Amino acid sequence: MNDTQQTRLAREAGQRLLAEHMSEDPFAAAFKATRMPMLITDPRQDDNPIIFCNTAFCQLSGYSEEELIGRNCRLLQGTDTDPEAIAKIRQAIAAEADLSIDILNYRKDGSPFWNALFVSPVRNEAGEVIYFFASQLDFTNIKSKEAELARARHIAEEEVADRTADLTNALKAKTLLVHEVDHRVKNNLLTIASIVKLQARMSEDDTARKTLRSVLNRVEALSTVQRKLLNDDDVGHFDVADFAQELVHDLVSALRRSDIRVTTDLHEVVVPAAKASPIALVVNELIGDAVRRGLGDGGGEIHLEVRRLNGHFLIRVSDTVSPVEADREEQAFSAMMLETSARQLGAKIEKTVEGHRTDVRITLLVDEHKD
Amino acid sequence: MRIMIVEDEALLALEMESELEAAGHEVVGLAAESKTAKELIGAAAPEFAFVDIQLLDGPTGIDVGRELASQGVPYVFVSGNLKRIPDDYAGAIGGIEKPYTVNGFQNALTYLVAYVGGMRGAQVPPSLVLASSAQAA
Repeated sequence: MNDTQQTRLAREAGQRLLAEHMSEDPFAAAFKATRMPMLITDPRQDDNPIIFCNTAFCQLSGYSEEELIGRNCRLLQGTDTDPEAIAKIRQAIAAEADLSIDILNYRKDGSPFWNALFVSPVRNEAGEVIYFFASQLDFTNIKSKEAELARARHIAEEEVADRTADLTNALKAKTLLVHEVDHRVKNNLLTIASIVKLQARMSEDDTARKTLRSVLNRVEALSTVQRKLLNDDDVGHFDVADFAQELVHDLVSALRRSDIRVTTDLHEVVVPAAKASPIALVVNELIGDAVRRGLGDGGGEIHLEVRRLNGHFLIRVSDTVSPVEADREEQAFSAMMLETSARQLGAKIEKTVEGHRTDVRITLLVDEHKD
Repeated sequence: MRIMIVEDEALLALEMESELEAAGHEVVGLAAESKTAKELIGAAAPEFAFVDIQLLDGPTGIDVGRELASQGVPYVFVSGNLKRIPDDYAGAIGGIEKPYTVNGFQNALTYLVAYVGGMRGAQVPPSLVLASSAQAA
């Protein structure tokens, strides 16, 4: 069967179909006039040709009715039409089933358009499929908006990736800088301590040496704070118990006095970095004071407690020592250090002395400021 | 012990030297950068060394440490940032973190002298961080 013959058969089938509907049939009129591109194919003819199509379809495809009648719908397919979509249409036709699918089609002039295709079999009274009805909808605009959105999203994502990389680098640089500064601070603190120690070594004057040792003691308390500050991942916070543990160990082991016994009851209390130094000095003065008063022959017991108590933070040092006459100047200086540091912290000092027993309680609110 | 100090801060090195001598040790070499330090290992034959990580020629203390370890000289790192020590501790016994205190340093020294002398099981002072290999030993 040649092309002309096939076209003729398709045209005749279309005319038969029209003849079944009177010219005033509102359904046929609607089919012809609707802006929705539609066509009908005849599956009982060879290659399921188009036997009827409306003006809207001609406008969409760019083909004239003459060019379309007798042709299979695959003339709309082109280079970038998805073979999977074509296979689905073929399967739906073979299975005589409805199908709704988005497919890239081509106009007569070769320009592509996105087609929201709906194919549906039409059955006669016996239930046999006698036609396929297909409607098309050009959604190229929507598709290009989608592409535009995807492109915009892609650009935005790239921007985010760039910004994230920038921020990561900035953070890396900042971390490096913090570590560098921390390194310098540590070295400087140790250099300050070394200077004081060197001078104390060279000094022939007992009082000068004592004074230098007293200064060194406070410098070292602050050095220990600096060492503890950046050690954790939780930069900017400071565990007082951890600090107190090391301070006590340092101070007492250096005395080499088995008659001065130290007990501790330490619980983690984390404070903001800004409070670390005054708290460290408070602990340092309390222990130092007890040690100085207990440096006589009798020795004694020193107990250090660090914990939270009813929403407050408690540092308590109690000692039972055989008191000796401590250096008055040194004791006065230590008291001033303690009071000043406590004032900075807004802490309360309660001191009770009963016989040989001294009990000092320092209480402060820990989370009262967001430092 | 015959001790070598590898430290680029002259005042810290000087003070450490005084401290070690006061404790009865002999400081046989001072180096502020890695080249001198490596030469001293052979020339001064130290029995022990304190090694800072950040030296005049950069973070080369680790290299110096590896050289010490390869020549069988026990040593510890002394640094403001112990996290810079590699996981294997480059053969070091451990590390002392700056800024150490007089007492912290003395406690560490006492422990280290005993350790090098073969003593094990003593309580490690908080001022000294032991390498995992030294903890196992």
